Amino acid sequence: MRKFACAVAGAASLLLCTGTQAAEPATGSLTIAQAAESTMLDVTRAAAGVDWYILGNINEQLLQPDPSLEVKNWLAEKWELTEVNGLPVIEIWLRKGVKFHHGGELTSSDMAFAHKRLANPDVSKWPHYQAKVDHIEIIDDHHFKIIFKEPDGTFIPGAGLMRLYGISEAYYNSHTEEEIQQRPDGTGPWKLVDRKVKEEFVLEAHDDYWNQEHRPGVKNLTIKIIPEDITRVAALQTGAVDWIDAVPPAMIDDVKKMDGIATTARPSGNNLFMSLPQYLEKLPGRNDNPFKDVRVRRAAALAVDMEGIIEHVLFGQAQRYTTTTPGSAAYDASVEPYPYDPQKAKQLMTEAGYANGFDVNCYNLITPREPNVKEYGEAFYAYLGQVGIRCKLIGEEYAPWLARNNRSREPQNDGILTHMWGHGVVADPGTPWSGHMHCYAPGEGWGSYSHYCDPEMDAMVKEQATVMDPADRIPLLKRIGKKKYEDVAGGITTYVPLVTFAWREDKVDYKPWPWMGFWRKLQEIGIKH
Amino acid sequence: MTEPVGHRTPQPAGHPADPLAPSGLALLLRRFRLIRVGRVPWIAGGLLLLLVFCALFADLIVPWDPTALNLGKALKPPIWEDGSVPGHVLGTDNLGRDILSRIIQGAQVTLEVGLYAIVLSGGIGALMGMISAYFGGVVDAVIMRLVDIQMSIPSIALALVLAAALSPGMSTVIVVIVLSYWTWYARIVRGEVLSLRERDFVKLARVAGCSTPVILWRHILPNVINTLLVLASLQLGSVIIFEATLSFLGLGVQSPDMSWGLMLNDARPYMTRAWWPITLPGIAIMIVCLAANVFGDWMRDTLDPRRRQL
Amino acid sequence: MLNYLIKRILQGVISIVGASAIIFAISRLDDPTLLLLPIDATPEMVENLRQRLGLDLPIVQQYLIFLGNALQGDFGNSYRWEQPALALILDRLPATLELAFAGLVFALALAIPFGVLSAVYRDSWFDNFAKLFAMLGQAMPNFWVGLLLILFVSVNLGWLPAFGREGFDSLIMPAIALGWYPVAAMTRMLRSTMLDVLDSDHVRMARAIGVPNRVVVWKYALRNAAVPLVTMLGIYFANMLSGAFVVEVIFAWPGMGRMVVEAMFARDFPLLQVGVLFSAILFVVVNLLVDLSYGVLDPRIRHD
Repeated sequence: MRKFACAVAGAASLLLCTGTQAAEPATGSLTIAQAAESTMLDVTRAAAGVDWYILGNINEQLLQPDPSLEVKNWLAEKWELTEVNGLPVIEIWLRKGVKFHHGGELTSSDMAFAHKRLANPDVSKWPHYQAKVDHIEIIDDHHFKIIFKEPDGTFIPGAGLMRLYGISEAYYNSHTEEEIQQRPDGTGPWKLVDRKVKEEFVLEAHDDYWNQEHRPGVKNLTIKIIPEDITRVAALQTGAVDWIDAVPPAMIDDVKKMDGIATTARPSGNNLFMSLPQYLEKLPGRNDNPFKDVRVRRAAALAVDMEGIIEHVLFGQAQRYTTTTPGSAAYDASVEPYPYDPQKAKQLMTEAGYANGFDVNCYNLITPREPNVKEYGEAFYAYLGQVGIRCKLIGEEYAPWLARNNRSREPQNDGILTHMWGHGVVADPGTPWSGHMHCYAPGEGWGSYSHYCDPEMDAMVKEQATVMDPADRIPLLKRIGKKKYEDVAGGITTYVPLVTFAWREDKVDYKPWPWMGFWRKLQEIGIKH
Repeated sequence: MTEPVGHRTPQPAGHPADPLAPSGLALLLRRFRLIRVGRVPWIAGGLLLLLVFCALFADLIVPWDPTALNLGKALKPPIWEDGSVPGHVLGTDNLGRDILSRIIQGAQVTLEVGLYAIVLSGGIGALMGMISAYFGGVVDAVIMRLVDIQMSIPSIALALVLAAALSPGMSTVIVVIVLSYWTWYARIVRGEVLSLRERDFVKLARVAGCSTPVILWRHILPNVINTLLVLASLQLGSVIIFEATLSFLGLGVQSPDMSWGLMLNDARPYMTRAWWPITLPGIAIMIVCLAANVFGDWMRDTLDPRRRQL
Repeated sequence: MLNYLIKRILQGVISIVGASAIIFAISRLDDPTLLLLPIDATPEMVENLRQRLGLDLPIVQQYLIFLGNALQGDFGNSYRWEQPALALILDRLPATLELAFAGLVFALALAIPFGVLSAVYRDSWFDNFAKLFAMLGQAMPNFWVGLLLILFVSVNLGWLPAFGREGFDSLIMPAIALGWYPVAAMTRMLRSTMLDVLDSDHVRMARAIGVPNRVVVWKYALRNAAVPLVTMLGIYFANMLSGAFVVEVIFAWPGMGRMVVEAMFARDFPLLQVGVLFSAILFVVVNLLVDLSYGVLDPRIRHD
């Protein structure tokens, strides 16, 4: 029977037929639930991280990390960074036999189209990521060059890993923007066949998927959207769904105790920190700014029992970090987090001349962008009070928080601010560091949400933006990370949330895959036989 | 939209035809003297007094600092359950804060929001209703269309739009409640004043040369004050619930301020592992609302029996 | 009758246009662009987006454009979904109507027997029980009732689904959470009008000539006593719609309310506007229908 199918499909599916056993099309159905819903289903127009929960299964990039967080050649079979006339050029050999869901094979001209579309601010939320690319030079159908105007340090390891998606030029040209959004085309393991806003996404395994080794083991996958935590867990418990994401921290123990349920936790791509207003000359109601003194910044870092907060407030669903998370380019295991040492903190405060402490505004993000983020802020700010950094607690919802965060908007941050940056699980901190560790430089793109200003740090941040070769880049990033830690530059690094997935052990075969900083990639999910 | 209201506009009855209508307070006292002691809802009244007492003296009577964190004591049950810690009668929440203290402190916000909302919406509504009915014509038409417009926007929807524009907080809650409730007073007061306007004592006052504000204040207001009191007391329960709902949705009172609705929102993630944080503030809301509603019913039956359908 | 109808429709139109202006004006007090772009977006990208969304124009002009387009059925694209906001809302509308209707049915299913029997057996144990049960519903926030139902009925007992919209089962708990609140007011109103009607001369007459009590109470008396309740149905329905905003969030009900709540947090103004405007339109239409239905129920009422 399979032989017959191959004969009919002809030469185009030669690759498929010569493949391994896995080439047999998957069967069966699974229903899973996610807490958050993707909105924009077009890789160029999507902006919110949550959009990639679905898009990560539909679209693919030139390079992608595997479950061990190692970056693998994905749509690119091979690539090389060279220099022509002093400017970088990336040469790429595209994988052959990569099929789109709606027909056609991925070629160099599709990649050139992806670049053009991503660079166009009218249809792209990411033009700044293509700003340093001059053009794409097509050599043949599976071979092209990315020609740069100027070096772009974060292009290769950056949050987007080459920041180009395999999208079909023909499909985009023959469909309206709205149709594309409704039924995005891609090369990924899953094809979107139906979508009910606020309800569900219906996916179907891509039978012609190029990757024989890592592919779904089920044909139909329905993703229900259940934002309510208790409801989502109840749906798993009652068997209404077979897999859920984002098990709420407070319910981890309940879920682990359930019969026949397996769980696994992974670091999310988000790094939380407490931004300190070092950039101001004076704090409100004072004639000075204590945070200009590194001793005060260190005292603040020593004042908080983060381990306690992680255990009691976050139910263990977090890990500490100092520079970046494991898997990221700048990760440095030798830099240990500041310990909880209130005595030392008080001593530093006294040395800095603030033995009696001082009052400061503390802006707490109350929208649950991460689980229990409000409670974490309340606990953190309460600890600061014990060493004399007395918080006037001000709760802020996400939208006004974003405006306070942003240096081009009023009101400006004049206190300590719950802060975070998503650099992805396997990525590069260059872009976020440029945003929050460099002085604010209006119009130049530096420090757009920075409350820190230091010339030495500025020079280092500027330098990393031009170093593309990983061999030079990684040591430089580690040097910045070390300095960031010692100077408590940008703020106090606190934790990376863990996200827990749970599924019915007897039914579901699941292996988490990272993508764009998230773990909702359903590269390998299937039915247990 | 005014027509359904029109159907229910009560017939003028029982209003004094005395041209020298007594002042508001005297009138009120006279009415209260008619109250039969036996029917006063002592329990409900007592509970409301307790609420006021808690709100006024919260700082003095809380057993613990309601904002003090103690992570080691997080989610400890009330004292009658196993695993409780001494001193925390109703247990602790997810950050180890004393629930009883927070409920007492929360009474303050509950009462504050309730009073502001009721006084402002009642005041604005009554004024608009009086003006609308007294002047009639274009003024009436404009005000009544405003009422229509206002009433056509569901209050939660209005809260959403307002919260998106102003940031959420206690003042936003009060604005939303006032905007949603003034129409209720305006319509009913308008109906009353329409009939009062034609009565002899008002006509006489006009002939005697009293200015419009004097007529409204001295002759009309005293005659609608009963209705206002009844409406206000009936409204307390629904305002408390509305505030809790807004705070629960994240549109209302924000931490570090505390309210019962916010406590429920905070407790929601832990409801499967701890029943007390999600139940007790809800019970506080329920008790206060029950008391307020019983008290409101009694006020209506006593002061304004014609409105027993409200 | 025709004049009355025209007048009422005109009033309705004024309400809706007025509501749209108010909603539009309030929602333009905030700038949504930061939420729509990556955090490291450049100021030029922000400006480009503002222009593309027309947010750089004076607010009056923005409103006139909105109104002009709206009259042609174009309510703009949702910022976040980049799809027509109207279609997104209309898609969700049936679910919300279903929920509001179910809530109302639940409320009436309790209030009618409560009101009638409380009047017939005045001051009996049933009267007191009905009063207490109804008052409890009025004293609890609907979201709290919903959460407790999920906790006990779904999680602990496993009797009913905790979320979604699949069949009658999934409708029960949201309808209870939503419909319990107005039971007290409905019961009270029905009880008091029933008492009046039962006390009236023609009921006494009917009894005197031997019409069975069951018929007197459930047919003659209820028919007359129900009129004030029917006049309030429009208001109750609006309350149900308003309540649905919260109940939909709790039960992950795929309705308009949940979408509008999320639109608020995302500052997705076109979607927020259409959602709120549709609630207003529903309110106006339902009230108009209720007004017109009095005549059918009570021939004594004429609209002239």
